[in-house]
Amino acid sequence: MSLWVDQYRPRSLDDLHYHQGLSARLRSLAASGDFPHMLFYGPSGAGKKTRIACTLKELFGPGVEKIKIDQRIFLTPSKRKLEVNLVQSNFHIEITPSETGNYDRIVIQELLKEIAQTQQVDLNAKQRFKVVIINEADSLSRDAQAALRRTMEKYMSNMRIILCANSTSRLIAPIRSRCLLMRVAAPDSDAMSTVLDYVARRVGFDLPPDVADQIVEDAAGNMRKALLVLEALKMQSPDLSGNLSIAKPDWETYCHKVADLIVQEQTPARVMEVRAKFYELLSHCIPPTVILKTVAERVVERVDEALKADIMHWAAFYEVRMRVGSKKIFHLEAWVVKVMSLYKQFFYGMDLTGFD
Amino acid sequence: MSQKSAKVIAKDIRNFFGPPGGQKAKHKSSRPAESTDQAPSDRMDVDHEDDIPPRRASGIKRRQDSLSSEDDDVVEVKPPPMKKKAIARASPKPQKSTTATYKSSDDDDAKPLPTKKIVASKPRKSTAMTSKLKDTDDYEDSPDIELISKPSKTTTKPSAKPSAKPSAKPPAKQEDSGDPPKKKPNWYAMKAAKLAGPSAPGSKQVPEPASEDCLAGLCFVFTGELSSFARDEAIEIAKRFGGRVVGQPSSKTDYIVLGDNAGPSKLAAIKKHKLKCLSEDEFLDLIATRKGPGNGKGYDEKTKKKMEKEQADIKKAAKEIEAREKEAQKTGSSSKFGSSSNNPNIENQLWTTRYAPQTLKEICGNKGQVEKLQQWLTDWPTSLKSGFKKPGKNGMNIFRAVLITGPPGIGKTTSAHLCAKLAGFTPIELNASDARSKKLVENGMNINNKSLDGYLANSVDGHSATNSAGVAITDRSCLVMDEVDGMSAGDRGGVGAMNALIKKTKIPIICIANDKGAQKLKPLQYTTFSLSFRKPDAAAVRSRILTIAYKEKMKVPANVVDQLVQGAQSDIRQVINMLSTWKRSSDTMDFDEGKSLVKMNEKYAILTPFDVTQKMLGPYLFSNTARETLGDKMELYFHDHSFTPLFIQENYLKTQPARVRSLQGPEQILKHLDLMDRAASSISDGDLVDALIHGPEQHWSLMPLHAVCSAVRPASFLYGQGAGYGGPNAMSFPQWLGQNSKQNKLNRQLTDVQVRMRLKVSGDKSEIRQSYLPALFPHIVRPLIDDGSAAVDEVIERMDEYYLSKEDWDTVVELGVDQNKDDLVLKKIPAAAKTAFTKKYNAAEHPIPFHKAFDLGKVPKKLAASGPAPDIEDAFDLDDEVAEASDDEKEDKSDDITKDKLVKVAKKKKSAAASNGGKGRGKKAAS
Repeated sequence: MSLWVDQYRPRSLDDLHYHQGLSARLRSLAASGDFPHMLFYGPSGAGKKTRIACTLKELFGPGVEKIKIDQRIFLTPSKRKLEVNLVQSNFHIEITPSETGNYDRIVIQELLKEIAQTQQVDLNAKQRFKVVIINEADSLSRDAQAALRRTMEKYMSNMRIILCANSTSRLIAPIRSRCLLMRVAAPDSDAMSTVLDYVARRVGFDLPPDVADQIVEDAAGNMRKALLVLEALKMQSPDLSGNLSIAKPDWETYCHKVADLIVQEQTPARVMEVRAKFYELLSHCIPPTVILKTVAERVVERVDEALKADIMHWAAFYEVRMRVGSKKIFHLEAWVVKVMSLYKQFFYGMDLTGFD
Repeated sequence: MSQKSAKVIAKDIRNFFGPPGGQKAKHKSSRPAESTDQAPSDRMDVDHEDDIPPRRASGIKRRQDSLSSEDDDVVEVKPPPMKKKAIARASPKPQKSTTATYKSSDDDDAKPLPTKKIVASKPRKSTAMTSKLKDTDDYEDSPDIELISKPSKTTTKPSAKPSAKPSAKPPAKQEDSGDPPKKKPNWYAMKAAKLAGPSAPGSKQVPEPASEDCLAGLCFVFTGELSSFARDEAIEIAKRFGGRVVGQPSSKTDYIVLGDNAGPSKLAAIKKHKLKCLSEDEFLDLIATRKGPGNGKGYDEKTKKKMEKEQADIKKAAKEIEAREKEAQKTGSSSKFGSSSNNPNIENQLWTTRYAPQTLKEICGNKGQVEKLQQWLTDWPTSLKSGFKKPGKNGMNIFRAVLITGPPGIGKTTSAHLCAKLAGFTPIELNASDARSKKLVENGMNINNKSLDGYLANSVDGHSATNSAGVAITDRSCLVMDEVDGMSAGDRGGVGAMNALIKKTKIPIICIANDKGAQKLKPLQYTTFSLSFRKPDAAAVRSRILTIAYKEKMKVPANVVDQLVQGAQSDIRQVINMLSTWKRSSDTMDFDEGKSLVKMNEKYAILTPFDVTQKMLGPYLFSNTARETLGDKMELYFHDHSFTPLFIQENYLKTQPARVRSLQGPEQILKHLDLMDRAASSISDGDLVDALIHGPEQHWSLMPLHAVCSAVRPASFLYGQGAGYGGPNAMSFPQWLGQNSKQNKLNRQLTDVQVRMRLKVSGDKSEIRQSYLPALFPHIVRPLIDDGSAAVDEVIERMDEYYLSKEDWDTVVELGVDQNKDDLVLKKIPAAAKTAFTKKYNAAEHPIPFHKAFDLGKVPKKLAASGPAPDIEDAFDLDDEVAEASDDEKEDKSDDITKDKLVKVAKKKKSAAASNGGKGRGKKAAS
């Protein structure tokens, strides 16, 4: 049995619960026959992919739901083999070029050209073009983005591109200007409660409003998270009554532990302890920015008002460096040491003014 | 506030990324800021010299541009204790001035450096203005510097007043003695003394010694940090005047020169042996006042006798050599025809051949090893007879070959030849200049004794026969395989053939190599007896060198010889070569000449990253009295530029920084954290530079900057005891490498999981990790913990729903952290449940979303045997693309095949049915 979040995923534009305006626009675009390149962006869990899938269904009919996965091998100039997973139907193809790291340009160049140079042969197809969905577009390298820009114009007759990203800030301007931007904002709490209620009804139970509120608050705009939490809660206590505590995911509790370590003690030994924990998180595939954000938020909760701004400032400072640099742990650690230093200064500052 | 700090950051960044030409501009722009916010922020009680630096700095700055590329030297400036006190007093309100302190501390670094730079590079012992011209000569652009040194002079003079010592002592002694390095003022020390405040003694000068050998016969131990001399310098001074310096105090030690922070073990030894302690000043006084023994008087009887005996020995040895040479000359001239080309005039020979040891006695050091070798060769005939069964006294006689290893120039080859000759063998030497491939080794030597060719030839024409290598064959030969580790590409199979040869040889074989642990020599490890030669210590070599010098009528004092030997790292050959070259120009050599000669012939050794880290983070490299320039420090990074930054990052927190040693309580903690902060941010800078170097544009020219940011600067903040200097934290290998590869591995696995789940789930990789895995955990892992094997079916069903394989299940477990950490989880799952899970999973067919690309084209093994394929095609596909019968065995081949045979048929059917059922339900739900 699938998880609820997958089981009750909306499959057509009509089923979507929120952002009705957006849905209407997509529907009319799909109907017009003049479908542009698109860039869907918004926070994770807002429903970008769901919306893309619905749009595709609107464009091509139920055929797009028959998807298969293929693995293709590309050769780099240095004869290294790159494995790329393609998710495709007869009408569209979905790739995640960032899987190949620095070689994403090769995937973009070869694959897109190949698709663009073949015409749709199925005469019954609703549209003459195929759609290429590029996931995680914001982690495309600069080279890959440059490779994309001309392709997007040149092969317009055979192909449309839908980019899916969390933010547009790391896409180069030429790409942005070639796309119709579709912002899929995170749902507000009312929308989320509606969805939760809907899912609960489909499953066959009533969701108490206070529980719904609690879940919505915890999920912070992430619909996927909200639904997963709902299911976890339901599993935990089938009648959804009493004192429910939403279990945090493992990495989050771990991050909180790190934050507590930082606040408890400020010594070199503690920094090394924190470093070990950071390594653990990083090696278990938690993105460094998520770590920094989670830890920083927790630390800020626990320190004096006067320090909060500074700590966040430095978190932002080192987050940028993390993106530019290559060894994330160095910057994470620099931030920890900075916070410890600030904290201690504040601590002694307080102490001494009291007694002096 | 944040704006202000942002500005600081901006400056910081410019600092690192500005083009080289931008340096000047930067300095100009930053100066006004310094002078304004310096004073209020942390210099509460400014001593009068503190308002001078900006001016001084700017004065110098103008002429400094040529040098400014090196100006990151910043870091070494030790803040004066005065200032620390100021900070302490100011600490009541640091939270308000956090950025200010940050800023000022930064500037603090930047400001004093120009002066310091000059001061640092100045030779140290002259005080008088007159000597300045001369002093600066060795500086690249002396005209500039000369100008500079004047202002800096004027500024430093008044400041030196409180500690009047330096100016008081020198004048009497400065004009005489044209020995430049001896007479230069110790600018570093003056600076250091000034920084240390009036309590510390002023900069010191090495006084005019009462006599050249005023310390002769004395034994010194230095411990702790002296205030104006680096350890090395102090040791050099002691040696210069004839003293002996040892590392550990013992009852024979005459004096201990105590500095700050002496090691506790040494202090204990002082107590135990009741040794005399000297302060730095007393040590200098000793030099100034103690009359050296002169020509023999003044020594006590014992030393006098000893010295006389040494002299006599030297003379005797020299005579011996002379006699031998005469002999050789005679025989050479008697057999003039023919062999004269073989025996050139002895005067024309290289010293190394001319003075090569002729008797065992003459070999320097490694006596034990040589004796063993000798014994083995002498015993050879008997051990051959006994079939190498009797180990003998040293246990050597069961070996047919010996492997001598050791660094170059310590007499390995010489010893081998000499021993062979003395034991009555004819050494046949093969070295790297001979081809030593398998074939040649096997056949060329005629060692296998396959042919009587050599012997017959011998008897026929009376000439000594030679083999293909051109060596005479006798019935007693000894094969000396020199430079075995040099058997390289051309000598394919050489070592193997050697080894085969060794196993059956009837003549002794001596192999010689430099590196014992070399991979190439592995085969020899078990068939040869390993004799490792060590570097002889200076004392062992000294008399031999002195003999040679005496023979050549050179005047070289013993302490100079020691220095040469030490400088050449006990490479006797090199010392002799150095002497022979020196002889061409001069017959005498004094201490300083010896020093420069050593410097010229310095061997460049690559340090390991461990050594580099130890040196960098150790207490001496950045101490006030250290003489290393920024360039020297950066050089350390280049010993291994990829590992050094990682090592520094791993270990920089493990020191007990020397900079906070004098502080206590909160100040110390705050200062320590501050230093850590600066080091960490510098390392962070370093990573940015690294990204530029290894990025698409490959700015390799930034490597010096990377050296400074990633290694030198962090170390300059946190240098001190610890991290390999006996602190509580041992130095460790960087975790980054292991963690990084682990991250890559798990990342790949996570990609696999994501792709498999993709048919059901829209999320990307990080979404899977952050939301789905915690959500799936209670469905596919926890049931196994809670219900054991009863839950297996349910778990498998759930996994099939998401197309997860058993490996993916492992990945899910492996990716957990904290309470879901894999160790914890796996421990909690009962073993029975685990086996049941594995068995059941492998027994049944499972839907797979796709074939791995490399699996395509292979015929699924099980397809025929497994009966009707599960009906899963229509679950998600109407077209020709079929999710075929599971071929999971491809991924865990061996596992599955064995399972195939063992697993009972009934069970298989059942679980297949179960999975089918699961499929059906899933289908319904999906549609």
